[in-house]
Amino acid sequence: MKIFGNKKTPSQVSTTMATKQVRYEALVKALHGDLYRYGYWLTHDKQVAEDLVQETFLRAWRALDSLKDEKAAKSWLITILRRENARRFERKRFDISEYEEASIMDTESTSTEQTIENQWLRDKIAQLPPEYSEPLVLQVLGGYSGEDIASMLNLNKNTVMTRLFRARNQLKDALEKEPEKMRFTHE
Amino acid sequence: MNDNTRSDSAMLDNKMDDLQFRRSIFADPKSQDSDILAAQHADPAKKQLAHELCQFDEKLKQAMKVPVPDDLCHKLLLRQTLASHQQEKRKSRIHLALAASVAIVAGLVVNYLQFSNSYTNVGDYALAHVYHEQNVFSNDDNTRVSLTSLNQKMTTFNGSFSESMGELISADYCRFDGMKSLHLVFKGVTDVVTVFIIPKEEHLAFTNKFNDEKLRGESLGFKNANILVVADKNESLAQWQQTISSKISWSI
Repeated sequence: MKIFGNKKTPSQVSTTMATKQVRYEALVKALHGDLYRYGYWLTHDKQVAEDLVQETFLRAWRALDSLKDEKAAKSWLITILRRENARRFERKRFDISEYEEASIMDTESTSTEQTIENQWLRDKIAQLPPEYSEPLVLQVLGGYSGEDIASMLNLNKNTVMTRLFRARNQLKDALEKEPEKMRFTHE
Repeated sequence: MNDNTRSDSAMLDNKMDDLQFRRSIFADPKSQDSDILAAQHADPAKKQLAHELCQFDEKLKQAMKVPVPDDLCHKLLLRQTLASHQQEKRKSRIHLALAASVAIVAGLVVNYLQFSNSYTNVGDYALAHVYHEQNVFSNDDNTRVSLTSLNQKMTTFNGSFSESMGELISADYCRFDGMKSLHLVFKGVTDVVTVFIIPKEEHLAFTNKFNDEKLRGESLGFKNANILVVADKNESLAQWQQTISSKISWSI
């Protein structure tokens, strides 16, 4: 009796489920770090970033069958995460304090020169307007080209390039005001 | 003047000016654009700037690599396992609910078909009932039911007969349009005489006399039940009713 049409046999279903599970686990292991960092730079908040990543992967699981090309997985996940973040703002109007010193990542207690420098840079990146920092994170951390970023953010390429220029320009300006913070030398 | 402008723009076309180079290299220090590479090759200062920016990018990258919580990966895997488990449970609950609904509907349909009241008065139903069973009993049947066993069956209606009313071929409970009734078949003059003892119910209209081309019927209301007699036209229904009335007694 085939009342319910093209129903798969139980063994087929469990094979599909197992494949899906394997794909999902591979995605989580390979990309959760990048996603978390991207979420962190989007929100400047560790806890919110973690929640966003969880929500993103949960949605990714449900929609996993729609992901055909594994190479596109990262930008697919980033798109989901950006949408989740936007939804967060729809849900409740956060009073977005420009950036809070306390919420920015702590340095490890062992304050090597490198970590001081990192911390200083993190502060400066966090102070960038979000429309500048977002493409910068995608380019530097994600390794995406101008075209990729443009399509991910729904902007045209020239706008993206201008924002990238301004982002680096502002960071360099800040650096030149406090040159002692960095071992950024003009060789 | 015209010449001058033209040569300026020609120069711009061929060679990147400083500002343009700066904008491009700041936007993408790792650019492999041929104009950018050519400009770097032609001018050591530009090459130096590009190199600096690449180093700066490396530092930015290190700074952007904020520590990822150790347990995040496990949390993600665990949450998905729980979520898909919930989903499975929901699915099986839905299937169960569907199956239950189908069973209930099927039950209702069967019930409706079997016990629906498709006749509006006792007369119509009685005739239909008799026609339905006309091949089951005949006047020549030799089986007889005793008064005792008849009265045993009559206890359902809290009634009894004082003596036999004739030759009783069959006495059995039956469903009279959904009501539990007693169905008596007597030997008649030319064909069997059917007597129904049915509980007093509202849903069938009481008809005193009824008939069609072949059969006639009469009903009599008693305290606990209605009694219907159905027979062919050779029988005196009044006589039957008279006999029944005189021999029946009700205990309550």
